[in-house]
Amino acid sequence: MEQLIEQLKSQIIEALNFEDLTPADIETDAPLFGEGLGLDSIDALELIMLMDREYGIKLADPKQGKQIFRSVRTMAEYIQEHRTK
Amino acid sequence: MLVELYRRFAGDYPKFFKMDTLCRLGFIAAEILLKGQTSQCEKEQMSIILANRSASIKNDTDYLATISEGNYYPSPSLFVYTLPNIVTGEIAIRHHIQGETSFYILESPEQLEPIIKSYFSSPLKGGPRGALTGWCECSKPNDFYAKMQIIYGTTD
Repeated sequence: MEQLIEQLKSQIIEALNFEDLTPADIETDAPLFGEGLGLDSIDALELIMLMDREYGIKLADPKQGKQIFRSVRTMAEYIQEHRTK
Repeated sequence: MLVELYRRFAGDYPKFFKMDTLCRLGFIAAEILLKGQTSQCEKEQMSIILANRSASIKNDTDYLATISEGNYYPSPSLFVYTLPNIVTGEIAIRHHIQGETSFYILESPEQLEPIIKSYFSSPLKGGPRGALTGWCECSKPNDFYAKMQIIYGTTD
């Protein structure tokens, strides 16, 4: 799980163009939206694409997003359980 | 180069890193031009009139690569920059500019002059106003050019 979390942080930095951040700057349990990284709706779409592209996960129900994208840890937990690649 | 300029002249606007090259270019040019030389009141009343020849072709090409056959992962963050006038919005948001914004696709910078003259001779009321105008061109990743100026006139 820890390895997946670190990998996910790197992928988020690349996908969202956080050129000033390193994986160490992202707190595993910090909120991704609002406080924390302060992501917006376009970022949310990028995260959905990232899950599809990198892990073969297609999110069909938008309601799931709120829980899945709460933090890097919740994303990693969902990925570990549902990944197809 | 644009990132270096950003760090030198701004450095406090993380959204810069999410912008496409055209917006980064316009952002930096406006930053240098407006920083410390224009009051916030003047900026709020300002208009933005920009132009170029290649529209948003560089970003359009990048976006196209994300929807190519066999690799269909359309990038939302690239898609939002597939219009050249987005740069005027980014500048307006950054500097709280509330005037009109427009972006023209022209063959050469000289063609922008009559458009600006037309703007200042329009029947709009409001007294002396400024317009951030200029050329903002980016057709390839490392091939870009920007020249901006503030023109003052009266719209009475």
